[in-house]
Amino acid sequence: MTVIVNPEGTISPGALPAGTTRATLRRNFWRGVWRVLRRKPSRMAGVVIVALFALMGVAGPLLYPAQLPRDDNALYAPPSLAHPFGTDFEGTDVLALVVTGARYVLLTGLATAVITVALGTLIGLVAGFHRGRWDSLLMRLTDMNLAIPGLPLLLVLSTVWKFESPLEMGLVLGVLGWGGIARAVRSQTLSLRERGFIEAARGLGLPTRHIIGRELLPSMAPYIAMNMLIAVTGAVYAQVGLFFLGVLPFESNNWGVMLNLAVFNGGALTTPAALPYLLAPLIAILLLTLGIVLIVDAMDEIFNPRLREE
Amino acid sequence: MSNETAAPGVRIRDLTVVYKTPAGELPAVRGVDLTLAPGTITGVVGESGSGKSTLALSLLNAVQPPGRIAAGSVEIDGLGDVLTLRGEDLRRARGRQVGYVFQAAQNSLNPLKTIGKQLLDLGRSHEVEDLRGLVRDAKDLLARMGMDGARVLDSYQHELSGGMRQRVGIMLALVLNAKVVVLDEPTTALDMITQATILRIIREVHEERALTTLVITHDVGAVAEVADSLAVMYGGRVVEHGPVTEVLGEARHPYTQGLIRAIPRLTGDLSLARALPGRPPTLGTLPTQGCVFRERCERRMEVCETDEPMAVNRDGRTVACHAADRHLTLIKRKEFV
Amino acid sequence: MITGTGITKVFKQRGGVLGAREVPALRGVDFAIAKGGAVSFIGESGSGKTTLGRIIAGLESHDAGEIVIDDVPMSSLSHRRRQPYFRRVQLIHQDPYSALNPTRTIHQTLEAPLKLRAKQTGRPRSWVDGRAAELLAMVGIDPGYVLPRYPHQLSGGMRQRVVIARALTMDPEVLVADEAVSMIDVSLRLGILALLKDLRERLNVGVLFITHDIATARYIGDDGELYVLYRGQVVERGATEKIIADPVHPYTQSLLSAIPVLHGLERPGAERVVPKEMQREGEPDAGCLFARRCPFSTERCANEMPVLARDQDIEQEYACFHPRRRSVIPVGVGE
Repeated sequence: MTVIVNPEGTISPGALPAGTTRATLRRNFWRGVWRVLRRKPSRMAGVVIVALFALMGVAGPLLYPAQLPRDDNALYAPPSLAHPFGTDFEGTDVLALVVTGARYVLLTGLATAVITVALGTLIGLVAGFHRGRWDSLLMRLTDMNLAIPGLPLLLVLSTVWKFESPLEMGLVLGVLGWGGIARAVRSQTLSLRERGFIEAARGLGLPTRHIIGRELLPSMAPYIAMNMLIAVTGAVYAQVGLFFLGVLPFESNNWGVMLNLAVFNGGALTTPAALPYLLAPLIAILLLTLGIVLIVDAMDEIFNPRLREE
Repeated sequence: MSNETAAPGVRIRDLTVVYKTPAGELPAVRGVDLTLAPGTITGVVGESGSGKSTLALSLLNAVQPPGRIAAGSVEIDGLGDVLTLRGEDLRRARGRQVGYVFQAAQNSLNPLKTIGKQLLDLGRSHEVEDLRGLVRDAKDLLARMGMDGARVLDSYQHELSGGMRQRVGIMLALVLNAKVVVLDEPTTALDMITQATILRIIREVHEERALTTLVITHDVGAVAEVADSLAVMYGGRVVEHGPVTEVLGEARHPYTQGLIRAIPRLTGDLSLARALPGRPPTLGTLPTQGCVFRERCERRMEVCETDEPMAVNRDGRTVACHAADRHLTLIKRKEFV
Repeated sequence: MITGTGITKVFKQRGGVLGAREVPALRGVDFAIAKGGAVSFIGESGSGKTTLGRIIAGLESHDAGEIVIDDVPMSSLSHRRRQPYFRRVQLIHQDPYSALNPTRTIHQTLEAPLKLRAKQTGRPRSWVDGRAAELLAMVGIDPGYVLPRYPHQLSGGMRQRVVIARALTMDPEVLVADEAVSMIDVSLRLGILALLKDLRERLNVGVLFITHDIATARYIGDDGELYVLYRGQVVERGATEKIIADPVHPYTQSLLSAIPVLHGLERPGAERVVPKEMQREGEPDAGCLFARRCPFSTERCANEMPVLARDQDIEQEYACFHPRRRSVIPVGVGE
């Protein structure tokens, strides 16, 4: 890898060296991602778990009939081969409930994550980059957002809004929760802003659009990716918790509903019969969180070319 | 103050330190022989990738994974081979016998504690019984270096200028009465005038306390001002070693010659100065056989491709170069006291 | 052609209990950089040289004074209208490691400003790639090797050259090199300095070289001009070679005295000046800023402020009541 220091230069102008086209860069990026994931088996495990859940969310309900079969003879049946997690109060297979109940939870989680991160990042970037009046204005807005009492507001909203679609739920949770990310992104932006390459971009006259989108954002990519993944888990907890508390109406089945029914209807905390009914969704949430946490570990390396290539 | 004990000599023999990389274990320091005569200041000069910082850490047996000391010994009079010390013995040796002044001392100073508190921490961790005496010694040292001891001990790291922080670093390395002191890049990030002051202080303190001092730096000028003997490192090896005035006045190794020619100077013909071609090696680009410097050398010969030049000692000067001692290939004496 | 008159800048520090402190960084500095010229600013930390360089590059504002670029005073333009002028001055940072975006390849880094330049000068998109290769060759590196790589895969010297190439994408008139070689290996520094000199000759681009290492200032051109700054003021100004050989201001002499002597090759100057050391440097009430540290200061120095001026016996301009030639720089052994 010797360097040719070549003052006269024997290149042909106009010829693009191999390895600079967009396609090549993209291919190398995904190859690098694979390499990063393979470095630690825990990351691959995380990928497998999350992929499993994604599959569950997409294809789960397709595996079962629209109305899950009830078996009056097997109410709160103990775990068996036919029902690995037993049955619920109607005799419906708990595993089937978990699988079909995943879609709502995951979709909401995803929607919330996307909205919080998109809103929070945009506001944080603009505030941190422009500083001055923009910063003051946007930070006041952020402060207000952070001050909004989320739970009471949701309680009030739930009296008038049915939240049928997971996207509706995701929207509300998202709009309520972008404050923290905005703050964090702003402080990251403020510090990155002083770095040589950002200053150089400004000095060269590159448009703000380019600086924020192509210089700042990619440098913050690991941070944003991590926040997005963690926001998913946070959103899952939030809505599961709300359903468990009975705050949100039960329009369809999901993990939170299951938890609520298991505890309050089935007395799962006092009698062993409904225990599998309680544990199944809990284990699902745990596994999902685990999978996400294992992947988050890889984020730093994926987005830093130096660590990726090594 | 502590002139009772004589300055110890330090003998580094055949030291090899390797680092674990995806490409296997690569040597950062290879077969280095270096003697620090008692009571002298030795300057080790090298650029990035020369292995000089690794060498400095080895004197404390402080090489961390992924690096490890693969071979060799570091003998200090009165202490034995530092590389064989472990645990408590090693901890005690560091600080009490071998003092280390870090580069840009802010890395070794705790920003959340006053200097005085850190001094007390140091004393306690080395089981110093007379802490008051320690503080007194520290104040004396600081006064000796031109500072108001009481005020400095009450200050936090960020309240002091770069030059003052460097002096605090020197004080902390000496306050436990170490007789061997290693200074890693003591003048980097300091203004010219402050650099000159620090170099002067190093020289004075060294003489007053009868120390054996090792200065590691990339700045040939700093070494010229402060050291008695100069060792030049390249690619993990010592390529030249001898008295400062002789090595500079009559450099024998092509790298030393090239380095001197490549330094921007205040006087002299501008057109005579030349940068060295190529660039310093990294761990991954070091050649495994032959001379490490041959790619950039103007006196490159065939034998340089295959045979690593041995260090030859003549008139108190050591040079490792085929071209410097072509008619002396039979003599394979390594340097020793 | 850039000139500045009376440039003043004050930094307001958010103080502690006692309220905000005002730190003057520049106190009415005048300067001129001719087309294709070589100017160096010398000084220690706190001299204001970096601040002045950044003001000239348009990255910082100044509180008083006027900057004139190509005969257009900047104060007569709105902030937006000034940008195209300041774009003719490009800053090269000290740290080649943080000056390049670590998540983008060199090709991507050069492509962005070149695309903008193509639009500005009405050139087709196809010009961009060829120009990138041309600029890299001009700074002495192989485009084929460098373009597809990320910054961490290049050495410090190569990175600095890429930074210079990027600065050239906008066809600047002046390059401001702020400690541009301080973080580069010693054996490679002359290479970068020679490059700057070469660019001056080839492209007629001016170089403003900011450094604390006076020796490096000699290598950007033998026709260079030197400004010695102390705490925001110019204390000596003139031809670089002249000031180095024949300094008259005690501060300049202190700086030159502090340069290490390569014993064996050189002998120290006979009259080296060592300034007094101050624990804390507050603002003096009046008089010369250097007076408290100066070994030759008198009553007058403490009360009156010397002004930059010239007299017939001394070629350069200086701000001192007691200028005197002293041989402070090292002399070659055998001379």
